[in-house]
Amino acid sequence: EYGEFQTFQHYFKQINLSKMAAEGRTVAPPVRKVIIHPVVLFNIVDSFERRNDNCKRVIGTLMGRYDKGVIYVTESFAVPHQETDEEVSMGMDYAMRISEMQKKVNTNMYTVGWYSSGIQINDYSSLIHSFYKVQFPSPVHLTLDTALKEQKMKINTHITLPIGVKNGTEGCIFTPVPHEIKGSEADQVCLKFFQGLKGTRKTPNFNDPEQIVHSCDDMMAQINVILGYVKQVSAGEIPMDKEIGRQLMEVVQSIPNLESDTITNMLNSHMQDLLAVEYLTYLTRQQLAIGARINQIL
Amino acid sequence: FSPHPSHYLLSQVIMKITRNCQDELDKQLDPHVSGVLLGLINENKRVLEVTHCFPLMNSDTDESMEINREHMLEMERSLRSVNIDYQQVGFYQSTYLNTHCDRNFLDSVFDYLEEMNEAIAIIYDPLKTKLGHLSLRAFKLSSAAFNLYKAEKDFTAEMLRDNMVTYENLFQEIPVVVKNSSLTNVLLCELGHVQDTTSYFTLPTSSYLEKSMQLLLGGLDEINQDLLKINKYQKSVYKKQTDMMKYIQDRKEENDRMIREGLKPLPEEDVNELFKDPAPVGRLESLLSANRITSHCDMIEEHVKSGIGKLYLADSFMS
Repeated sequence: EYGEFQTFQHYFKQINLSKMAAEGRTVAPPVRKVIIHPVVLFNIVDSFERRNDNCKRVIGTLMGRYDKGVIYVTESFAVPHQETDEEVSMGMDYAMRISEMQKKVNTNMYTVGWYSSGIQINDYSSLIHSFYKVQFPSPVHLTLDTALKEQKMKINTHITLPIGVKNGTEGCIFTPVPHEIKGSEADQVCLKFFQGLKGTRKTPNFNDPEQIVHSCDDMMAQINVILGYVKQVSAGEIPMDKEIGRQLMEVVQSIPNLESDTITNMLNSHMQDLLAVEYLTYLTRQQLAIGARINQIL
Repeated sequence: FSPHPSHYLLSQVIMKITRNCQDELDKQLDPHVSGVLLGLINENKRVLEVTHCFPLMNSDTDESMEINREHMLEMERSLRSVNIDYQQVGFYQSTYLNTHCDRNFLDSVFDYLEEMNEAIAIIYDPLKTKLGHLSLRAFKLSSAAFNLYKAEKDFTAEMLRDNMVTYENLFQEIPVVVKNSSLTNVLLCELGHVQDTTSYFTLPTSSYLEKSMQLLLGGLDEINQDLLKINKYQKSVYKKQTDMMKYIQDRKEENDRMIREGLKPLPEEDVNELFKDPAPVGRLESLLSANRITSHCDMIEEHVKSGIGKLYLADSFMS
């Protein structure tokens, strides 16, 4: 295990980082926002739970891409590391190797930063950050508070900006960057599904009709809230808000305004299509079952 | 082959699978994405826990299969150092609308089952998830089918009958249970109420239904062809029987005639060697087609049921 770890002094001697920084070779692109995919957060929590007993925090690499001032973080993996009061070491080869492997499967992803559990940012953090600076000029540092201070799991994202006097003492400061947790539609479905399971460990419910009933209830609740608000506004209790009024108008007008005859015709034909399809599938299934039974008997 | 009541999946795995399949779908490189599941077997509770997964490249060419193999070995070694379970417990695949039941799938499931009794295959349907229902199903070969496939790569009707394998119990579906640790639950609370932009209220659109019906028709065509082949086989068996009878009859007449004329009778020949048995038709493909068709029918039925309800809802809105 220790063969994989390299201390930072050794590594920096190899590539002479300070020389590169002095020549101003790494030009950091501006980072205005970080968009995090929920999978990354789940990964971090999982790697924290799997840490060795003597580790207080875990670190790992974040992968994704950078586009016009926004860093998209879409993947992450844990990196073995050790931290004591005197020194810190991490498996840099390991990190490079795994990021290469990930790149093979997912061609447009590259290292964009690193994460650590626990909100503390200390000297070791800046050392680790310099390692990641080599791979990506403006890496983002994500911290996830697994110790749950303030009864919440806070997520912070930082980038470093250089401070100091040129040709004198230079350093960098971690400044926060706004972040957003966003996933695609399918991820939202997943998350909503997990929310339903929160706390209980019951079997998932993929049943169609029950979910529709559930959504109906939700919609009814929302309509009631809106109705209550409209009543209050028309009674004069709450001042009008033009924006909300305009949106309500849009909602009401989005129902197509057709003659009732055309509506009934459309619905009826649609219904008949569905019933015909259901009958056919039922027939097919019975046919197959009969065929199978005959096969058994003959 | 001990039956396991259910399998646990960590929510992280589900997210990873979803993200992987969705990304590939968006890129439209290839809708068929697959990957490996990792986890461990909990002996006390007799369940299989899936705790991690990673994607593989498409294994169309031999070269990419080699790369995949190396990738798997590398990942196994690396994951050990971060305490992630490295035992392969199955694989996952993304397919549209239940078209996964084909020979390749059967082979893969069989390979994994050979190595490990409890291996499972997870099928993820990205289209269905887009409609709002998380569609993740776990499959496994039933023990009868597994034993049969181990013995013979292609079945005949007699073998199927003897082993009680029908298209219904070819694959066994296993209920999927999602388990989260407490810290993950905290994370979920933190992520807060998710803005749900997908609606369950999409009317039964014709494109989804059309596609399902097309697949159904395709499956029926295949079964039809198999039926024709089986018919031909049976006819040829029958023909062989009649030919054999006729030959024996002729021989007997000849011999009688010869004896009457006082000549030596012709030597008895082994009849069976003259008439070879026609090759029996493999029943595996028709089994798989039947399985596929049934799952299509199930899907369409579900879709239609909820569709009728949604139509009534729309009616109440518009009138």
